[in-house]
Amino acid sequence: MSWSDPARRFEPAEDSQLRAELRDLLGLGPMMAPSAAEPTAELKALADDLRREAQRRSRTERKRPTWGLLAAAALPLLATLVGLGGWGFQQKHRADDLAAQTQRQEQELTRLVASHRTELARERQAKEEVQHQLQLASRKEIRKSEPFLVIPVGSPLKVTGDDYQRVKQNPQH
Amino acid sequence: MAQSPPETPFGTQEAFHSAFAELYPRLVSYARRYGAIFPEDIAQESFVILMQREVAVEHPTAFLYGTVRTLSLTERRPMKNQNLSLEVVSEPGLAGGADDQVLNQEVRERMRLLSPTFREALWLFVVEGLSIREISDILDIPEATVKTRIHRAKAQLKDQLNPSGGVHVLV
Repeated sequence: MSWSDPARRFEPAEDSQLRAELRDLLGLGPMMAPSAAEPTAELKALADDLRREAQRRSRTERKRPTWGLLAAAALPLLATLVGLGGWGFQQKHRADDLAAQTQRQEQELTRLVASHRTELARERQAKEEVQHQLQLASRKEIRKSEPFLVIPVGSPLKVTGDDYQRVKQNPQH
Repeated sequence: MAQSPPETPFGTQEAFHSAFAELYPRLVSYARRYGAIFPEDIAQESFVILMQREVAVEHPTAFLYGTVRTLSLTERRPMKNQNLSLEVVSEPGLAGGADDQVLNQEVRERMRLLSPTFREALWLFVVEGLSIREISDILDIPEATVKTRIHRAKAQLKDQLNPSGGVHVLV
């Protein structure tokens, strides 16, 4: 090869020897040195045409988007995602607060219900006590106001109005 | 005012001209070996693709051969021969013309008898004169695999020359 090519320059000697052996086995003979003849005008023109074609394609071909452009294109999407994430986080925070508040209210209500029940039971017990006392008192009153038979006497013991004697009523037959 | 010569993948314009003059016929021949219908177009397209690149390639020769190989196989794809490769199409009569320009009948027969797997690496190494590294780039296989294929091709060639037997050691 007549042009600079690092891979060719640094080919190990054993590879060159192996190539020579293989050429010998195939009956090809030694490798011919590249012809130093001047390229024909036709080939030169073709090479230049191809080079111009490559330059034309490089100019006209749509460039692939670079990382910067891709990042710029992805920025709105990223901002939307961040916004949605922030909003979601905020909503979650609010929901957690509401849940905690509801739980506190529920606990307060439970506590109030329990205290009211206790108070109600106490009042009910007091009422029963009062009723019991009332019943006892009522019985005593009844005992006091039991009917007695009044028997007039011939000669009153006193001139006062207390001219009667109290006797127990005989049980009726 | 002197104008600086435009750079090419091969250096100066003169270097590019000489490289083109040397490589173009080889690439046309290489494309023809793959059974390409328009081997000249494929070789020219490979040069255009090489020069179109913004980033310079490390091994322009390997890049050109690899591009020719890919384009040739792609050209055959509509013919539903996607699995075709140099090993298959280089049979005498199928891709005639390319071998005739480089190899004589006896060498062609020896190449034909080789295992298809090793034939392509051997061709690139011996006939095209490419380095192991370049062949590795073209075939997209490790350099060690290229060396193995070449050494096994050598063993098969020795078997052809010495059919009565003998032990070969891969060197």
